[in-house]
Amino acid sequence: MRRLLLSALLATTPAAIVAAQGTAVLSGTVRDTLGQPLRGTVRVVGSALARVADERGRYRLDVPPGRLIVRIGHIGYRSVEDTLTLSAGDSVERHYRLAGVAVELQPTIVTAAKRSQFLDQSTTSVALVSDTDLAHRAVETVDEAVNRSPGVLFLNGQVNIRGSSGFVEGLGSRVLLLVDGVPANQGDRGGIDWDMVPLADVARVEVVKGAGSSLYGSAALGGVVNVITREIPLGFHARLRAAGGAYADPPFDVWRFRDHTGALGSLDATASYARGPVRGSLTLGGRHSDGYREQDRSDQWEMSGKAEWLPRPATRVTTSGAWTSHQYQVFPTWCVAASLPGARPCDTRGQAFQPFLIDSSGAGSYTRSNKGYFTATLDRTVSTRFSWQARGSWLRTHFTDVNPDDWAVSNRFGAEWRGVGRNASGRVVTAGVEAARGDVTSDIFGEHTQHQLGAYGEVEQLLGRARLTAGTRIDYLDADGSDATGVLSPRVGAVFPSHVGTWRASAGRGFRAPTLAERHVNTRAFGFEVIPNPGLHPETAWSFEVGNTASLASWGRLDAALFWTEARQLLEPTFVLVVDSVAKDTVQKIQIQNVSRARLRGLDASLAVAPLPALTATIAYLFLDARDLADDSLLAFRPKHLLTLSADYRWRTLSVGGDFRYTSRIERIELEPVFGGDPRVSAKVLDVRAGWQRGSLSARLLVANALNYIYNLVPRTLEPVRTASVVLTWTY
Amino acid sequence: MAICAAVALACNEGLHPTTCPGICGTVTYQGSLPDSLRDSTAAVLIVAFSTFPQTPADLLRFQPPVPAFVDTGGPPRRYVLQVPNGTYEWVLAVWEKKSTTPLGAGNADSLLREIGFYRDGRDTTAQGTGRVHVGTGGGGAAAIDFVIDFTRMHRICHYFPPCPP
Repeated sequence: MRRLLLSALLATTPAAIVAAQGTAVLSGTVRDTLGQPLRGTVRVVGSALARVADERGRYRLDVPPGRLIVRIGHIGYRSVEDTLTLSAGDSVERHYRLAGVAVELQPTIVTAAKRSQFLDQSTTSVALVSDTDLAHRAVETVDEAVNRSPGVLFLNGQVNIRGSSGFVEGLGSRVLLLVDGVPANQGDRGGIDWDMVPLADVARVEVVKGAGSSLYGSAALGGVVNVITREIPLGFHARLRAAGGAYADPPFDVWRFRDHTGALGSLDATASYARGPVRGSLTLGGRHSDGYREQDRSDQWEMSGKAEWLPRPATRVTTSGAWTSHQYQVFPTWCVAASLPGARPCDTRGQAFQPFLIDSSGAGSYTRSNKGYFTATLDRTVSTRFSWQARGSWLRTHFTDVNPDDWAVSNRFGAEWRGVGRNASGRVVTAGVEAARGDVTSDIFGEHTQHQLGAYGEVEQLLGRARLTAGTRIDYLDADGSDATGVLSPRVGAVFPSHVGTWRASAGRGFRAPTLAERHVNTRAFGFEVIPNPGLHPETAWSFEVGNTASLASWGRLDAALFWTEARQLLEPTFVLVVDSVAKDTVQKIQIQNVSRARLRGLDASLAVAPLPALTATIAYLFLDARDLADDSLLAFRPKHLLTLSADYRWRTLSVGGDFRYTSRIERIELEPVFGGDPRVSAKVLDVRAGWQRGSLSARLLVANALNYIYNLVPRTLEPVRTASVVLTWTY
Repeated sequence: MAICAAVALACNEGLHPTTCPGICGTVTYQGSLPDSLRDSTAAVLIVAFSTFPQTPADLLRFQPPVPAFVDTGGPPRRYVLQVPNGTYEWVLAVWEKKSTTPLGAGNADSLLREIGFYRDGRDTTAQGTGRVHVGTGGGGAAAIDFVIDFTRMHRICHYFPPCPP
């Protein structure tokens, strides 16, 4: 016991010494070369100390005395480094100016290795959406912000990273959503509520491509999306964001469905205060949309908060949470002349289909969806060699559907401890344990629980110029206290800088445990009974990737990766013949089963250039060859080509820009006998934007789908029409 | 420049109003569904055959795989059959009886009744003479209209005699 106490005393001594020595204060501003404030990150190299500048570009950082290297960075700008020597009690002011580049050369990411690292040190591909991107695009929701990222495609709200998920009506996502590193997929259906986090709170989004289960466990089969919320700047700050807009009318008179123009609007207010070791922020918001088609109205109220306590420079306690109440009408499928069995006829006005009108069997359908989360995190930087984090989280979702009448309440409780250690020879060890418990009470899923316990470790070793990474995670899963399953998810990777860019390679195994909904759903769909299958196994995949990132002088950056994923036991709805106890005969029913083997391979490339200081442009292309190996056919809902073009030009306080997204025609869909005759086209969507910023005021104009291109990606579900909106933001 | 090219690519594309993607027309109801059939009716549907069935087993090779379902009465009803391009010799309405066993060639005669079919206006004498051409002239075949008459239901054996007692 005495030895234990002595060890504990020795372990805490460096921190105690640092605290006793006092701190120095580094403050100032971060601006671009035109003098506009930037919310840049000021980070002390080799430690977890960092601070994001506020809307006016101001920052303040309490740092330990001594010789420090400070790196100032912002996505889209070239980082600068500053070396300082400070004594205890010093208060030093430094003002930094960052020059714009096509893509910032050394952005810092936190998701790929579950710790802070530079982007080009990651063994897997990562796409970034910065707060500058969010502001320029004037989008309203997180999914809109992520949707234009290279290699990412949303199918009716379901995120696909390199074709990972396809479209399964929200039942189970093969992408894991994190909010500040905390898993946030629904506890019952495993899907993602993109309206969970107000966009006003989002600082940036990191999209990690490929299997991430070696660190994150279940659901990270096809990738990880980490939504990182804003840091709280010192002093009192406020932010008011108001948006208003209108939907275009259908381009053909025969499709018109209302005699007025549909509108949308939102209002968000954020206030924050930070003084000394205590910081807090609160966001309230509401939004309304008339929708762009019949029965498509939506109302949403949301609130979120964050509180931080920094008792010492190297210790941070953070609590955060959000609550969203969303009522929205449900557009079931569009109206067609050829009805499904049991469907009531709808008036097609002599047309084969009416994309803006609903199938009348879905008349009156709406959903009330309440959801929220609460997390508490303790971050501790014990020394420059070791830091750890402990966190607990609670996620709750509650939906009530009307026509058909269904409801479900689910909870997801999670806890994790993670430590990161570094030594002088360049070795970094990340290790941790994580536990989660999900439960559901529902009329269609029943009452069930699911547990997951995981332990993981990953080592990165610097070997010459190369960084080698190896790690694994083991998870134990059980449902309703029985049938425990163990899953091993190893990953190895390497990064090698060369004169032709930085090479990266990785191989990793991912998995997704069946959700409670997939195991226990009991409902009807397309006229068939859907029956439960409690004996489902996790679906698994091996992902391989080889990539290169190269800087093209000072004006460009090229990133390309070849990827290959072999998936096994994919969960899919399947027709089965079962003996019906009532009919006393065999009848066809639908059941989720482990059936498919799939292969997804292709090329994911992007080129970012800045031919002029004020002009940036990006071209991103994804080629996807996705095959269902079970029947040697194309994998459903995977377009072969995905092309994104973006350009932005700034002149003093004004900016203009645009995005163009081409998605090739989806060649195969599920339920081909039912929907196969429907028209399908490729998607060609142009968004244009303009902005003005002066001091604390900014105005942004966005015209999404400016050409009013009419298309659908999933059967009988129209994608948004042209939507013009203006966003006004005032910051204090 | 790339954006301009994209704009040019996207012009005049996308979904457009389509009146008929296959075989379309109107069914008119002659009378209404008899009360005696109301409880035993599973569905009334419209299907098409590229060649007139030669055997009872051919009756299950219709297009499209999921047929168009229509009402059992009421005002004239527009229908659309999303079928591949080609020629169809028989477009008809079928009454299907409720059953706990899957439909097959063995029980087709007891579960299905022909209740109306399209006849070419120039030759109304026999089934299989109402040929419908889809896609050959660019587009679907519209105005393939016919009458559903529940008082003139024909068993399968009507086309493949003899009928069992």
